[in-house]
Amino acid sequence: MSAQIRSSTTGMMTGKNILGEFFSKRLAGQFAAVVFLLFGLGIFSAARAQGRAAAGAVPVTPKDNAAFDMTGYWVSVVDEDWRWRMLTPAKGDYISVPLNDAGLKIAEAWDPKKDEADGNQCKAYGAGNIMRIPERLHITWENASTMRMDTDAGMQSRLFHFDGSKWQQGATPDWQGDSVATWEKRRGVKGGDLAVVTRHMRAGYLRKNGVPYSENMILTEYYSRFEIDGQSYMTVTSVVEEPLYLRDRFITSGQFKLEADGSKWNPTPCRPLWPRAPMAVAPKQYR
Amino acid sequence: MPKIRRIFVFAVFTLLAAILATRPALAQVDLSGGWLTKIHEDENDRSGGPDIGDYTGLPLNDAARLKADTWDAEESEMLDHRCQQPPADYAARGQADMRMWSEMDPLTKVTSSWNMLYAYMLTQRTIYMDGRPHPSANAPHTWEGFSTGEWEGQTLKVTTTHLKEGRIRKNGVARSAQATVIEYYTRYHNVLTLTTVIKDPVYMTEPLVRTTSWVVDDGFDLKPKHDHCLPTESVPHPDGYVAFHLPGKNPWLSEFASKWQVPFAATRGGAETMYPEYQMKLETMPAPPMLPAEK
Repeated sequence: MSAQIRSSTTGMMTGKNILGEFFSKRLAGQFAAVVFLLFGLGIFSAARAQGRAAAGAVPVTPKDNAAFDMTGYWVSVVDEDWRWRMLTPAKGDYISVPLNDAGLKIAEAWDPKKDEADGNQCKAYGAGNIMRIPERLHITWENASTMRMDTDAGMQSRLFHFDGSKWQQGATPDWQGDSVATWEKRRGVKGGDLAVVTRHMRAGYLRKNGVPYSENMILTEYYSRFEIDGQSYMTVTSVVEEPLYLRDRFITSGQFKLEADGSKWNPTPCRPLWPRAPMAVAPKQYR
Repeated sequence: MPKIRRIFVFAVFTLLAAILATRPALAQVDLSGGWLTKIHEDENDRSGGPDIGDYTGLPLNDAARLKADTWDAEESEMLDHRCQQPPADYAARGQADMRMWSEMDPLTKVTSSWNMLYAYMLTQRTIYMDGRPHPSANAPHTWEGFSTGEWEGQTLKVTTTHLKEGRIRKNGVARSAQATVIEYYTRYHNVLTLTTVIKDPVYMTEPLVRTTSWVVDDGFDLKPKHDHCLPTESVPHPDGYVAFHLPGKNPWLSEFASKWQVPFAATRGGAETMYPEYQMKLETMPAPPMLPAEK
């Protein structure tokens, strides 16, 4: 405000006069009281939170500290890569995957019947591809520091550990590997995202048609939640770092829609050729 | 009068104090820099071009199917479509290496806009962050549309209206000029994911939600693609020629189904085809005839 402003009743006035008229001692006192009250409340709540943490009475767990609520039943929205996800693609249909020569060689040897005979029918349902399978997820808290994600397709379970790796040296890798989770939140900002890093997976497929990943693969996932016209969506961005079979990071992202309940939950075993057998080989120009 | 004024001033100061005490941080994430697109999904659509008649996974209604069925690929060769830039909601899906930057209001030093420049045809977008309203429904529609942004936590939410009719797939599947596009830009360290929600009352039965990702490139050098478009016809046509197929007369619509052995009914799209239970229908659908063997 300029030093002088025009008043409709008194003509020219200085800023000092305005303060004198508008901001009497009594008013200043009231204002100060409000400010003290507000800051007092802030200090009180911060101190209370610190006190709780220090006393260990009510520790803030990852569950309490969640950036957003991921629990519930979620369904895949398959509106990208439809042909490769809703159907089993043909051998040789590797478009958009940065396979190197070693990866290509493995993919060309894909034999789904042999996989089933060897007990490897879940190779496309490991952590590296499970979020790409058309499915429903049921997400719950196993305990205050472990989130559990169950899938109906393939009946897989993933555990996201917020308290560090649970990998035992020398253990046998399994389909879902060892996942370490972190809420990624910025100070003073509402919400945030979930980051999950998964290692020690049993070798599997990035696509049902034999696109391979090895036990050395590292999968980093980022989960976010959005509300659109009262409907909740969850997106997951997956970054696959595969040192043996890919020549670049493989980055995909998918979306899930929250459902009201589990009435459409339909557990089914791993089915490599579901819902129909693919054509024998992809047309030549796509190989 | 002075008493009323005092009450007014008191109320203003109290409100100000409350806002200052509780205000969250604004514009928390830096999206600026060079971003390289990763086409690891929908490559046919986003790069070389999808097959004619491939509407898989799109929540289309019959009007959208009719429009796409009558589309002729020759349209893009016509003089008046030759240098047509991609609309704002499609620009991110193609050869979409981009630079993002923010601009600051010179007076308030607050971010007034976010901007994007895409390599393909040097398409540029401006997203206003200064809270301005969207224009009247009668205002002109453009390829860029009118975009406003706000921060939702760590994500930049962008609302775009006033788009010209455009495409959601490069084989004639259209998005109408009445659509509203909501975008969420979320940065996860060196990865940027865009979640695009297209709400189209003319051509869709439910919102289309898609995601697209980039990786940061510190030494980014934007290499323009197709930036010197020449408005010439590569194939000569008589004056006034319009590329189209009459309804029911497009001979290419079943080629995609045969080439990839996708049941024809599934290639027609629709919201039902986007959900897992549709696989049970796929299991029982008849296989399409095979294409003649290549020579």
